[in-house]
Amino acid sequence: MGTVFSIAADLGDGIEAAVARLHAIDATYSTYRPDSVISRMARGERVDYDAEVAEVLERCAEIEADTEGAFSARPDGRLDPSGWVKGWAIEEVSRLLSAAGSRNHLVVGGGDVQARGGSEAGRSWTVGITDPRHPGRYAAFVSGRDFAVATSGTAERADHIIDPATGRPAAGFASVTLIGERIAYTDAYATAVFAMGPERGLAWVEKRDGYEAYAVLPDGRTVETAGFARHLTG
Amino acid sequence: MQVAVTFNGKKITKIQVVEYPTESGRDREINSYAIPTLNQEAMSAQSANIDGISGATYTTEGYQQSLQSAIDKANA
Repeated sequence: MGTVFSIAADLGDGIEAAVARLHAIDATYSTYRPDSVISRMARGERVDYDAEVAEVLERCAEIEADTEGAFSARPDGRLDPSGWVKGWAIEEVSRLLSAAGSRNHLVVGGGDVQARGGSEAGRSWTVGITDPRHPGRYAAFVSGRDFAVATSGTAERADHIIDPATGRPAAGFASVTLIGERIAYTDAYATAVFAMGPERGLAWVEKRDGYEAYAVLPDGRTVETAGFARHLTG
Repeated sequence: MQVAVTFNGKKITKIQVVEYPTESGRDREINSYAIPTLNQEAMSAQSANIDGISGATYTTEGYQQSLQSAIDKANA
């Protein structure tokens, strides 16, 4: 398994640092590497971890509390903070590109998107949301500047989201897409909302400032939060 | 987990995909000129203006056939 990161940027200067950062994050947090800090902690080994790891675990605990357990750093009982780390890694790439001087870029990692600034000639960035019922087609298009998009669903990997409350694959959405400003929280929230299901999940997003949701249900109907439509294009 | 990166910017015309293979521990370039197999429906006039895709958690193996891959190539 691998994750592909696509970067469109006005400046290539930060790419090398961003790639190095992705490798470093992978080495520390991968649950597929038996020697990673997270794998060792998951096995119950005593590990001296640094402030960054502590911060990641803290963020996971915070989101677990905010989502009443719908998000968990132990989705199947074993330590796995990937639900936060994936989006955070994308945000780190964006941060390093900005630090190197980029004002406009789009970073896509494993289907999650962080947009900064706009695309060329003052145009907004446009992101297609995959249609979960017809992979290869789009369900909707959103556009804007400085925004993040994360989709949780079953389009490409069936049943890959476990509801921590039941330990079984979550049901009720074909997919749910969240729009926010920063991808780390947006992605973690999308995972949680998927686990909550349509009724509870969309109500939860409505109550959170700065986030909107768009969902495709298994029968093809779509539901969205009140403010989602202003992000739509096409 | 492998990490692959595609960069497309206005100043760099060649798409470069680096993959982080678990075994050799070295970055390598994936053939960036493989033509993705896409259905024509997906490549509508509208999708020509898409910059990124949300919701497709493809693997490095699946990337070459993905819509995101097509967008990266079109923008390079």
